[in-house]
Amino acid sequence: MSPEQTSLLQGTLDLLILKSLRAGEMHGLGVSRRIEQLTGGTFVVKPGSLFPALHRMEEEGWISAFWGESENNRRAKYYRLSKAGEKQLEAETKRWSRISLAIGQALEAS
Amino acid sequence: MPLLVKVQSFLRNLIFTRRVDADLDQEVRSHLEMLIEEKIRAGMLSSEAQRAARIELGGVEQVKIHVRDSRTGAFLDSLVQDVRFAIRGLRRTAGLTAFVIITLALGIGMTSGMFSMVDALIFRPYPVPHPGSVVTLAGTTHDSMIEDFSYREYLDIRDKTKSYDGVIAYADMQAVGFSAEPAATPRVKGGMLVSGNFFHVLGVEPGLGRSFRDDEDRVPGRDAVVVLGADFWHHEFAADPGVVGRTVRLNGTPFTVIGVAPDSFPGLLTFGHPDFYMPLAMARTFSTNIEKNFFEDRDDRELKVKARLLPSATLARARNELGVVAKNFEHDYPDVTRSRGATVYTQFQARTTEDQNWRFGVVFVILALAVLLVACTNVAGLLLSRARERAREIALRLALGAGRLRLIRLLLTESLILATLGGVAGIAVGYGMIEWFHSKDAIIFATELPVAVPFQMDKRVLLVCIGLSVLSAFLCGLAPALQSTRLDLVNALKSADADVPGRKRLWGRNMLVVAQVAMSLMLLTASFLMARGFQHDLLVGTSFTKDHLLMANFDPRLIQYNAMQTQQFYKQLAERMRETPGVQSEALTQNIPLGTDDFDGLTFVPDGFTMPPDRENFASTMDTIDEGYFATMGIPILRGRAFLATDTADAPRVAIVNAHFAKHYWPGGDAVGKYIHLDNSAGVPVEIVGVAETIKYQTMTDPMDFVYMPLAQRPVARMVLMLRSSGDPLQLVQPVKDAVHSLDPNLPLLQTRAYREYYLNQAVRGPEIAIDLVGTMGLVGLLLAIAGLYGLVAYNVSRRTHEIGIRMALGAAGSDVLRMVMGKGIVLVAMGTALGLGMGFALEQLMNSMLFNSSGVDVVAYIIVVPTLFLVTMLATYVPARRASRIAPTQALRYE
Repeated sequence: MSPEQTSLLQGTLDLLILKSLRAGEMHGLGVSRRIEQLTGGTFVVKPGSLFPALHRMEEEGWISAFWGESENNRRAKYYRLSKAGEKQLEAETKRWSRISLAIGQALEAS
Repeated sequence: MPLLVKVQSFLRNLIFTRRVDADLDQEVRSHLEMLIEEKIRAGMLSSEAQRAARIELGGVEQVKIHVRDSRTGAFLDSLVQDVRFAIRGLRRTAGLTAFVIITLALGIGMTSGMFSMVDALIFRPYPVPHPGSVVTLAGTTHDSMIEDFSYREYLDIRDKTKSYDGVIAYADMQAVGFSAEPAATPRVKGGMLVSGNFFHVLGVEPGLGRSFRDDEDRVPGRDAVVVLGADFWHHEFAADPGVVGRTVRLNGTPFTVIGVAPDSFPGLLTFGHPDFYMPLAMARTFSTNIEKNFFEDRDDRELKVKARLLPSATLARARNELGVVAKNFEHDYPDVTRSRGATVYTQFQARTTEDQNWRFGVVFVILALAVLLVACTNVAGLLLSRARERAREIALRLALGAGRLRLIRLLLTESLILATLGGVAGIAVGYGMIEWFHSKDAIIFATELPVAVPFQMDKRVLLVCIGLSVLSAFLCGLAPALQSTRLDLVNALKSADADVPGRKRLWGRNMLVVAQVAMSLMLLTASFLMARGFQHDLLVGTSFTKDHLLMANFDPRLIQYNAMQTQQFYKQLAERMRETPGVQSEALTQNIPLGTDDFDGLTFVPDGFTMPPDRENFASTMDTIDEGYFATMGIPILRGRAFLATDTADAPRVAIVNAHFAKHYWPGGDAVGKYIHLDNSAGVPVEIVGVAETIKYQTMTDPMDFVYMPLAQRPVARMVLMLRSSGDPLQLVQPVKDAVHSLDPNLPLLQTRAYREYYLNQAVRGPEIAIDLVGTMGLVGLLLAIAGLYGLVAYNVSRRTHEIGIRMALGAAGSDVLRMVMGKGIVLVAMGTALGLGMGFALEQLMNSMLFNSSGVDVVAYIIVVPTLFLVTMLATYVPARRASRIAPTQALRYE
């Protein structure tokens, strides 16, 4: 297992989930695949991390859950971004760009 | 908003645990199936796809666990699990659980019940706003650290001190004849004279109407106003708000009701709850010292003074200030204030100084705590042996990866549940104990005034209960929890008995037994000492007759008799009774021996004594009696004579002293014919005409100096009639009532009762309550120690069954086994006894100094207690040891 795939930074997972759900409501597997796609396969989210994160975020009120039908007519739990979640995404994005900028600067400095 | 969502999800997780879980289960499963479908779509074989999907998922249960742990309230969730698990375990061993709970309940309940006593006596704050700033101002003399002030002194203190936001004064609660209608016969109620600023300074807002105005205690006799106590208002007036403005009669004088004290203010007294309050300026209507002028005489000291300390003032400054005021008193009025100081006390200091009964409370709390400790060690021992039986289960859990902390939490949860249940049952025990005290109200206070045992199961006591429960949970549970999770896993899993063959582990249990034996020895000694202390007092006897005596109290001031009318009344009453059939003799006395009211004090200088420069006079207690007293009470006159009818007001003043007094001041000489001067060396000379036997006066404890004065020469308003009957004294009740009624139909009889009954309540049953209490504690302690010891030995035997079987198979006799098993028990008991003896001695010193004013060691107590304890505990080890010696080797070897 490559290090990139496992060491998801703390807080990054939330950001990625929020970002994926921005595109529309989807179930757990959908979120997982969407993250892979968005990060070009760098991040693979295991269900063991994904589901706790989803449930935690639901309890925070950033996303809401409902039961729906999957593409193959299977009952699946879907997640949708809430108002609070959108705000959270905005804040997280800002924070992340600040951090990445800072880290980038720090690494470029000799 | 987010908070609301969080609370919602928390509640959902908590309440709909099952549904939330089912939901999660379905979600993860559908995820797995979608994964499989995805893989099949990508071209995998069905079986391959299933495997790959499962690997990617990492296990349905594991995912679910991760989610559960991340949920809001996950901690609570696992706590609920722990609690469920613990309850299941406890239910399996219901007998043991019940025993533990009862044990703890006794310990916790006794301690909190006893605490309620100490709390009521010394800690409970005054029921006023900011009670901490209310301080007590008291006079000091050579003989007493807390003395009352006179009215004049109070006014000076009030006006000349600057440390206070108001200085109040009040007199003792006293019997007052109360009638709501002018025509009604007065009934006796408890009234209290207070300064006009009393309520105002204490910050007590009236529940109804108004409280006194400051000017209402300026002019003696002008403002006949009264504030009712809340309880009295409820009972007497059915809480009628129209009572304000009505006129009631107090001691025959019309008073206007101006207000009602709030429910929250039952008064400042520990025991009494005054029915109403009158302004000090009305003092003449009530029972003050009739020899003195309340408003003028600086030595008519009947007032207690309290004040509210200003936030800017310190106690030290206030003390200095009051000290200066007292010095000025001494300088300005040397005749009446020689060698008197004054000081300021906090609430705690004042209460511990004025009444010594709290000491009993403290000793009781110490003893009850000892019971609780014995209970805790017992429970700890039981949990320890249970934990060892569960060693395998715990080892398995540890091996499977359970965290040690999590396991300790689990085991502590168990003891916490036990302690909680024990605490709840303990509250019941404490409550029962307090109720028991209340049922003794009538015994403890044989008086017509509104007084009651102030112990109650209130917030403060409940808090103590809870605190004790938590404390005992940790005391009982921590050691077993720590020990049983520190296991050698391999060994533990291999054998059923995971006992580490070291000595370290047993050491803990042995210490518990030693502690138990020691503490129960201490408890038993204490109860024995207390019982013997009281018994000693009772055996010494009272030196007067108690049978065939009827007592009846009067206070003619209740209906406004003046001094002359009063004495006339008593004279006529005595004559009337003398002629009544069935009356052998009759007597009048100001106070009865061993009564609830304090005897008057007397200050004097014996003739020919040169007083030390810093001392004005000596003090003694005294009683005022008529000429029939000694004969009626059966008190022998040792020398000289009793009072005679010729000792009238106009005759030379005479007194009779007791033998203790005579020996104290004239050792070797004869007191008869000597003189004492009242108040100081220039005072009225009084001739001592007789010496009476020393009897018990105020309490059953040590003898004291005592002086009798004849009623004719020292008129007193409130007297007790004592009648010696030929038959049942209660048959004289009606004749007394008739006689009083024919003399004055308005005069209320305060109480009539057989003196023997009264004496039993005052002198015997009161101490019996204490003996009962301590005895119960000693017994409970002993039973717990026996149970603990028995449990330990029995457990050891069962653990060593196998070994004993081998020993016996190899030829050991039953007696060898018995010796082996008992040997250790004996060592432990001996160690405990030695330790307990030390603790017993220490407690005896404490009790001697605090309670009985004696010293030395009561050898008899130890001679009885120590062998008894030793025997009983030996029996507790013998029973299981004998069982061990009868083990059949074949059976023992097959064991397991």
